[in-house]
Amino acid sequence: MDFRLSDEQEMLRKGLDKFLATRYGLDRSRAAAKTGAGWQPDVWRAFADDLGILGAALPERVGGSGGGPVEVMVIAESLGHALVVEPYVNTAVVAAGLLLRAGGQAATKVVELIAVGQAVVSLAAAEEQSGDRWLDIATTAHRDGAGWALSGAKMMVLDAPIATHLLITARTENGLSPFLVDVTAVERGLEMHAFRTVDDRRAADLVLDDLRLPHDALLGQEGQAWPSLAQARDEGAAAVCAEAVGAMRRVVADTVDYAKQRHQFGQPIGSFQALQHRMVDMHMELEQSVAAVYLATLNLGADPATRARAVSAAKATVGRAARFVGQNAVQLHGGMGMTEELAIGHYFKRLTAVQYEYGTTDHHVTRYAQLTRR
Amino acid sequence: MDLLWSPADIAFRDEVRHFLDEKLTPELRQFGRLMTSVYSDHEASLEWQRILHDRGWAAPAWPVEYGGCDWSLTQHYVFSRESTLAGAPSLSPMGIRMVAHAIVKFGTAAQKDYFLPRILTGEVFFCQGYSEPEAGSDLAALSMSAVEDGEDLICTGSKIWTTHAREANWMFALVRTSRSAKKQQGITFVLLEMTSPGVDVRPLVMTSGEEIQTQVFFDEVRVPKTNVIGQIGDGWTVAKYLLEFERGGGASAPALQVMAEEVTAAATAQPGPDGDRLIDDPAFSRKLAEARIRTDVLEVLEYRVLATLENGGHPGSASSMLKILSTELSQTLTELAMEAAGPRGRAYQPHATRPGGPVAHYQPPPDGYVGGEPWQAVAPLRYLNDRAGSIYAGSNEIQRNILAKAALGL
Repeated sequence: MDFRLSDEQEMLRKGLDKFLATRYGLDRSRAAAKTGAGWQPDVWRAFADDLGILGAALPERVGGSGGGPVEVMVIAESLGHALVVEPYVNTAVVAAGLLLRAGGQAATKVVELIAVGQAVVSLAAAEEQSGDRWLDIATTAHRDGAGWALSGAKMMVLDAPIATHLLITARTENGLSPFLVDVTAVERGLEMHAFRTVDDRRAADLVLDDLRLPHDALLGQEGQAWPSLAQARDEGAAAVCAEAVGAMRRVVADTVDYAKQRHQFGQPIGSFQALQHRMVDMHMELEQSVAAVYLATLNLGADPATRARAVSAAKATVGRAARFVGQNAVQLHGGMGMTEELAIGHYFKRLTAVQYEYGTTDHHVTRYAQLTRR
Repeated sequence: MDLLWSPADIAFRDEVRHFLDEKLTPELRQFGRLMTSVYSDHEASLEWQRILHDRGWAAPAWPVEYGGCDWSLTQHYVFSRESTLAGAPSLSPMGIRMVAHAIVKFGTAAQKDYFLPRILTGEVFFCQGYSEPEAGSDLAALSMSAVEDGEDLICTGSKIWTTHAREANWMFALVRTSRSAKKQQGITFVLLEMTSPGVDVRPLVMTSGEEIQTQVFFDEVRVPKTNVIGQIGDGWTVAKYLLEFERGGGASAPALQVMAEEVTAAATAQPGPDGDRLIDDPAFSRKLAEARIRTDVLEVLEYRVLATLENGGHPGSASSMLKILSTELSQTLTELAMEAAGPRGRAYQPHATRPGGPVAHYQPPPDGYVGGEPWQAVAPLRYLNDRAGSIYAGSNEIQRNILAKAALGL
């Protein structure tokens, strides 16, 4: 029973926090997110070159530092605290995990690129009729000579507009598999409709019309991808929970500060008991989320059922907390909480979005119920 | 960072399990399982205390020289966790877990010699005299007077919510020896014998019908000054020291896990609104899952406080948070047990339970008939009694006040 970070993990956290405090101001990052490419490629390169966070949790054989889930937790929490939009979790945790487990030359090469900051990899899993059920998809892959041909449509593919590679899930006659797509090598068959999300990230809907891919685009053993996808989803959920904890720490601290400074009726509004108790409830939701992230993170290496139960407990807890903390932070900031003038409005939007990523709160409560039912 | 017990802790856990397997009889387990509140049947509790005392485990948190155990905090947690999971009756917190610590810290040699061994054996059984009709959350507003008269204090007034006052032969009480501008001053911590002339105990019938709580009246009760703990007028210092023990985090997650398992088992056996099993009803299943998730998370929070303490750190205001979370969660689980009990949840059958005290105005059926399962008889009584969780030991509103100040600086 040990909740302390190692010296190396502490250094990682401190280095990243210091970098973000000096290089990742909210004004600048929102401006970058809302205009142009929608992200800061120089920050991404610094993540790799100066901080080494993109490979921190990857094995040494692909150029990483050999860390694991705790490193991911530390990094994601710091990124969440600074409201970083660059796609650490989606690329360096979820996609990298899928690629590593699939193995093979093409996949390994892309993981090496991730570690050095030269690849952004976006997972295209959800579809219009499947909603969030990654297993229940209609996109197909057929053998086409030596290669593959994919047809179908994907929606809400996060980071796709800035991605160097896509991981597209499709059905072959043998089941579900992800296919690796080098975006720069695609000549035709891929339509991308790009847009911004409410929380200032980039995403796209994809139309695949006989998209031709080389034979080694298929990752892993054909049709056997679900256990790996389920693991990726759990790893993504755990990381997003840590990110939300970082964001909630900032939001609770900002709200308490605001309540101390803002005067009405001749006294700080933080002196009113109704508001004090609300902030205590926010604090307790945050503390439960911290514990929930430990629960998920420290069980990611367990058997699939134990892992799933811990991750669902965490995502359900953090989803509930993100909603409560976000909404009440806005409420306690009054009208100013509804504007983009203060940090709170931006954080509120992210805390809303995380409730839906890697399984909704409801999905995880239901999955937890199934796992604990007799 | 990990959530694993050390090999030494696992070995200790196995030792405790072995002991419980051997000594915790089915009858005693039954008393634990059919409890209707946090209070065990008095006799069962004392019997278990004697068994623990034989093993040297009745008061593990005491200093070793007085009969405690040389355990790490983790071992204390493990012992408490295993005892709860096995369904052991709870021991009265008032003697072993509370006043004894005050005696150890502030008592004279004579007080230690007399009381500590007798608390261990159960020969001296304490109740707590803190709250008064006009001093609840605002404890320092207490007014029961104690007037010095030679070698004695003469006490007059009333205490309320006194658990097991009829079973107890001693009370530790806060009394007012003087009044000053600051109400925390002039309070004295005394030990008084319940058989003293002028003590009158009147049971309070709770909504469950049980008479566990009482109001105690004092009419010029003489208490020798040798029974004062600490200094006359400085009782608040002693009380504050003890409050730390009462509110100290401890192991509440295991008890909640047992409750959640019981509700799950019950809902598996009971019909749901659509004829299927209740556990398959989406509305019920969701509520149960949410409660179980909170329990899983609370367990990690407790482990974190434990790890902080083991590493020599201060958990700060975490004990207030754990008190709020565990009592609110317990109340939720009693609601779910009520729902799982179905129509039977409205039947009043205390004779099928093991309440912590006598039940007033109740005649069990002559043939001992019990409708449904014993847990269905327990469910409504627990639901009623568990409302106390958010009221006792510093109401949850008081705990939120504490957190606002201590955790948020408001």
